[in-house]
Amino acid sequence: MTQFLNYAVPGVPFGCVFALMAVGLVLTYKASGVFNLAFGAQAFVSALTYVSLIQDAWPRWAAAVIAILVIGPFVGVLLDRLLFRRIRTASPLVKLVPSLGLLVALPQVALIIAGSTPSLPPPAIVANAQTVYLHLGSVPLSGLELSISAATVIVVAALVVLFRFTPVGLEMRAVVESPRMTELAGVNAGRVSAFAWILSSVMAALAGVLLAPLYSQLDPQNFTVLLVWGVAGAVIGRFSSLPLALVGGLALGIGQQVIAGYLPAGVIANGLRPSLPFVVLLVFLPFARQRQLDDPLSACDPPSSAIERSTSGFHAASTSTTSDGTGHTIGLWHQRLEGGGAVTGPGLLTRRPTATFAWAVAALAVVSALTWVPPDWLLTMNQGIAFAIIFLSLTLLTGMTGQISLCQATFAGLGGFMAGQLANHVGLPVVLGMVAGGLLAALLGVLVAIPTLRLAGLPLALATLAFALLADNILFPNSLIGNGAGGVTLPRPSAGPISFAAAKPFFVLSLVILGAAAAVVKLVGDGTMGRYLAAIRGSEMAANSVGIDVYRLRILVFALSAALAGVGGALFGSLEGSLSPDDFGYQISAVLLVVVAIVGLRSIAGAVVAGLVYTTLQVAVTTLPSRFAGLVAVLFGLATLSYTRHPEGFLDYVGARTQDAIARRRAARSGAGGSRAPGATPGIGRPRPAPVGEGA
Amino acid sequence: MSGSDERLLVASGITKQFGGIVALDQVDLDVAPGEAVGIVGPNGAGKTTLFNCIFGLEQPDEGTVVFSGRRINRLPVWKRSRMGIGRTFQRMELFEGMTVADHLLVAEQAASGTVRIWRDLVHRGGPTPDELAHVRSVLELLGLEDMAGRPIDTLDLGHARLVELGRAMMGRPRLLMLDEPSSGLDVDDTARLARILQENRRSSGVAVILVEHDLTLVESTVDRLVVLNFGKVLATGGVDEVLSEPEVRRAYLGSTA
Repeated sequence: MTQFLNYAVPGVPFGCVFALMAVGLVLTYKASGVFNLAFGAQAFVSALTYVSLIQDAWPRWAAAVIAILVIGPFVGVLLDRLLFRRIRTASPLVKLVPSLGLLVALPQVALIIAGSTPSLPPPAIVANAQTVYLHLGSVPLSGLELSISAATVIVVAALVVLFRFTPVGLEMRAVVESPRMTELAGVNAGRVSAFAWILSSVMAALAGVLLAPLYSQLDPQNFTVLLVWGVAGAVIGRFSSLPLALVGGLALGIGQQVIAGYLPAGVIANGLRPSLPFVVLLVFLPFARQRQLDDPLSACDPPSSAIERSTSGFHAASTSTTSDGTGHTIGLWHQRLEGGGAVTGPGLLTRRPTATFAWAVAALAVVSALTWVPPDWLLTMNQGIAFAIIFLSLTLLTGMTGQISLCQATFAGLGGFMAGQLANHVGLPVVLGMVAGGLLAALLGVLVAIPTLRLAGLPLALATLAFALLADNILFPNSLIGNGAGGVTLPRPSAGPISFAAAKPFFVLSLVILGAAAAVVKLVGDGTMGRYLAAIRGSEMAANSVGIDVYRLRILVFALSAALAGVGGALFGSLEGSLSPDDFGYQISAVLLVVVAIVGLRSIAGAVVAGLVYTTLQVAVTTLPSRFAGLVAVLFGLATLSYTRHPEGFLDYVGARTQDAIARRRAARSGAGGSRAPGATPGIGRPRPAPVGEGA
Repeated sequence: MSGSDERLLVASGITKQFGGIVALDQVDLDVAPGEAVGIVGPNGAGKTTLFNCIFGLEQPDEGTVVFSGRRINRLPVWKRSRMGIGRTFQRMELFEGMTVADHLLVAEQAASGTVRIWRDLVHRGGPTPDELAHVRSVLELLGLEDMAGRPIDTLDLGHARLVELGRAMMGRPRLLMLDEPSSGLDVDDTARLARILQENRRSSGVAVILVEHDLTLVESTVDRLVVLNFGKVLATGGVDEVLSEPEVRRAYLGSTA
């Protein structure tokens, strides 16, 4: 018992911080429908403010007050106003992408504003942090530990009072049940939700300030880890119960210390401790999914908003591009239905007027790459192609089925490591190694897909994030897989007499592999399978009811997507010559999803452009002066904000606008307003994208 | 298969509890090939739960479901569907973003089974002549030829309900389970629905289970009526005879009727 206490008590401060995080997450999720992953970043911003102010010789209490009660809520309200308020009813992807983007961008932006990372080890909010005030059994309790626990108790008590005994607490509970119903009763739901944001942001800020002194240095990484623990706590609370989230956070904090204490030091213990959130997520997510935000008024919903519809999927995309109000059909079969106006545009991935242009650009780029482009540019382009294949895996999975994966980078890494290990230990040719890497990734894709079959949207995203964490901590450090910090070397391939070691042959090989990957995605998208997937995305229950084996298809798509990522990762590794776990850590998955979502998840061109943009930005970050490196982060954040206005992605947005312009010009030239397909009703279909003036 | 004593669907002793609430208590229901059975009862009587237990969306706590001689208790929904059960939902479940014609085609193709990658290569996922003909004939039956290319979310409720009905008819099911198909429809829409149902039954000989509040639609469609109340079968028999039973009138139509 004493030994247990010895291990458990030091876990309490961690538990308190996790609990604050979990409660804050649940609070905003309930009040505004957004699961705010940017919470980790908000905590970091406040911690940074706090430490910076102290460095500028502010008294502790003043620094804490500014950081927690001013900066914290300020950032929260800003995000609510600018962003989250507008996406309350959007699809899970549209809700998730901005918060992921902000999780990455916000700390960088804060660091730019602060000027530099404080060198000071973060001080505690009480002066005598190390003084031992009392003993619990034989466990000494320091001022730091006591102050964290006390602050948590005070906040929780205040929350209870607020919810139980105040009018605004009552209103918040009502808004949680149904914002619209509450508004019908005369309550300003927007104001109440803003209040929830303030509250939860204060909690994030408090968590950040309290957590900071537990680490020796202020590092955004630690706050992302904090976020993951908070998420696990929120999942224990089933996204809905504040007390359960609180208990969950506390239990996790204590649990991780106890595990570390009892297990012998070594890979297992070191890996298991950070993997605890994964285990918790996997165990608790199936229960959490029961409680969806089901609005009692949803039965009399108005037609879904433009945002929601424009992201409802791969094929829905081109409804906006047929200007006569007819919809998109999957594949080319509609013409054969003849008769009453059923003639629609061809498949999404086939020609639009802009497609010719895209092909011309691509051809020009390839010819340039093979002739005059300098070697370092060629390398960047080649990296872009490797990443384009990884992005295609998201086009397939997220673009077509609407399932969100936050472990694509993990699949890419596993594919790359597999190819490298096979080449080094077995002497397998690298090209075959890429295939093997793809197969291994597919196998792991199946292993991830099976326990998450019943999950969708946010819970699925969190489960895949947890898997990525697990892989980071247990698989990647293994010498047979990622080989820890050392990484794995990968040779460039050769096929018989032809060697692909030189830059240009390798570039051609990469293009061929990209072409094959694109062909797979296109075949799936335009075929029967694409139609099944579109049906599943529309309604899983109805898809089942017409005889589609939904689970089998989901597993198949997950495996296929993982395989693509694996091949892309192996190609990247072979290009670079070596691969380390850092190349494909769990944060990378989030960044990849955000990038491809912003550029365009619904076309092959989107994946290719995303690949090129991603690698070019990476080069920009390293070669430009450090001031501009920050600028990239700012750009990233801004792109995230604009994403909520154009969730169809940048490429589709521009493409649709160009297409409209071309169509209008043609119509004007042919006079008489053009010939609409008979039976098509003008004006029906998605609203046009907003004119430039109204947009971003 | 053809004898009238050979029942298409036999659900017996279906019991389902949600927590302490008994939604279904030893309910028996059987349907002969080509027969149309109506299920009526007040809200909360267990009609949709019975549908879900037969169709596989929920597992009954007790009881067996036999479809065309085969016990299907353990089969997943999609297998039951491929065996020849089509169904619509009380709260419509459509494939948002897909066109009317695609709704029908996807159901037709799924009913036949596999993902056909080799065929996708050649036909780009298009339909075979048979599938095309069937899609066309159902569009005609529904009177939706003009709307074939429209995205489903641009249709009004009446037409959307027809698409859902049409989707359930694809793959030539032997049993159609319709859960309040007229809810939200006006008189004209409901009359059209009734006409289409009759026409479809005449041409295909499909059996129908109809859960419905609109007694006009029930009377014009079904051969036999089952009354559910508080999870129990209250009465069963011919439409007029059942509706005139005093107990049924009390439970379902209220004392004023």
